[in-house]
Amino acid sequence: MDQLSQPGAPTPGVQPKNWLVESILVTIFCCLPFGIVGIIYASKVNSEWAAGRFAEAETASKEAGKWTKIGFFVGLGVLVLYLIFYFIMGVALFSGAARFNN
Amino acid sequence: MKLTGNIIALIVLSIAAVIYFIFNPAVASFFPNCPFYSLTGYYCPGCGSQRAIHQLLHGDIIAASGYNVLLVLSLPVLAYAAAANIYKMVNGNYGRWDLIYKPWFPKTVLVVVLSFWLLRNLPFYPFTILAPHT
Repeated sequence: MDQLSQPGAPTPGVQPKNWLVESILVTIFCCLPFGIVGIIYASKVNSEWAAGRFAEAETASKEAGKWTKIGFFVGLGVLVLYLIFYFIMGVALFSGAARFNN
Repeated sequence: MKLTGNIIALIVLSIAAVIYFIFNPAVASFFPNCPFYSLTGYYCPGCGSQRAIHQLLHGDIIAASGYNVLLVLSLPVLAYAAAANIYKMVNGNYGRWDLIYKPWFPKTVLVVVLSFWLLRNLPFYPFTILAPHT
């Protein structure tokens, strides 16, 4: 919050989190393009910060976090839906097989 | 609160690691398929990750690279990021461990990921090396 200082000053405050690592993980593990949007915003965080546009870097950081989280939870949601579906199919097949055996 | 979250994440990761160690997603049928691949028939940058993790957990980096070389290449980056975070925890800033925060680094990652996505879908040699294969 007190990160704003004059441009050109050496490392004013702490650069906002760029979510790059999280974005990479989402890209590789969640099979969804949201991670790539995260990487684009991560890039924006770094370049805005380097250019001294600290407010813009802060905004890009929030966007990067948002898209990374969307990717994570959509991936998680798909996984949970899949497991539920798989479980129901399993039960259905199992009971079907049981009926067949009777 | 944050610690609880980390502990839960650690437990979930451990269980996942055991599952991916015991079962081979290349053979077992209960692992989820990539939604992008299922819908489009094209590989996404993450396709092959589950099979690659199984191979990695068995120490076979070559086989893991065959399924998803991007995942294998990301491991040093993840290790670096972990080391950088430990450095920051101790010293309060990233010091010289600031690669993740250099303007060129995420750009490079983006180019690599997008190139990988495109190239691994080309159906001819040498790009077929990038598609998931044994």
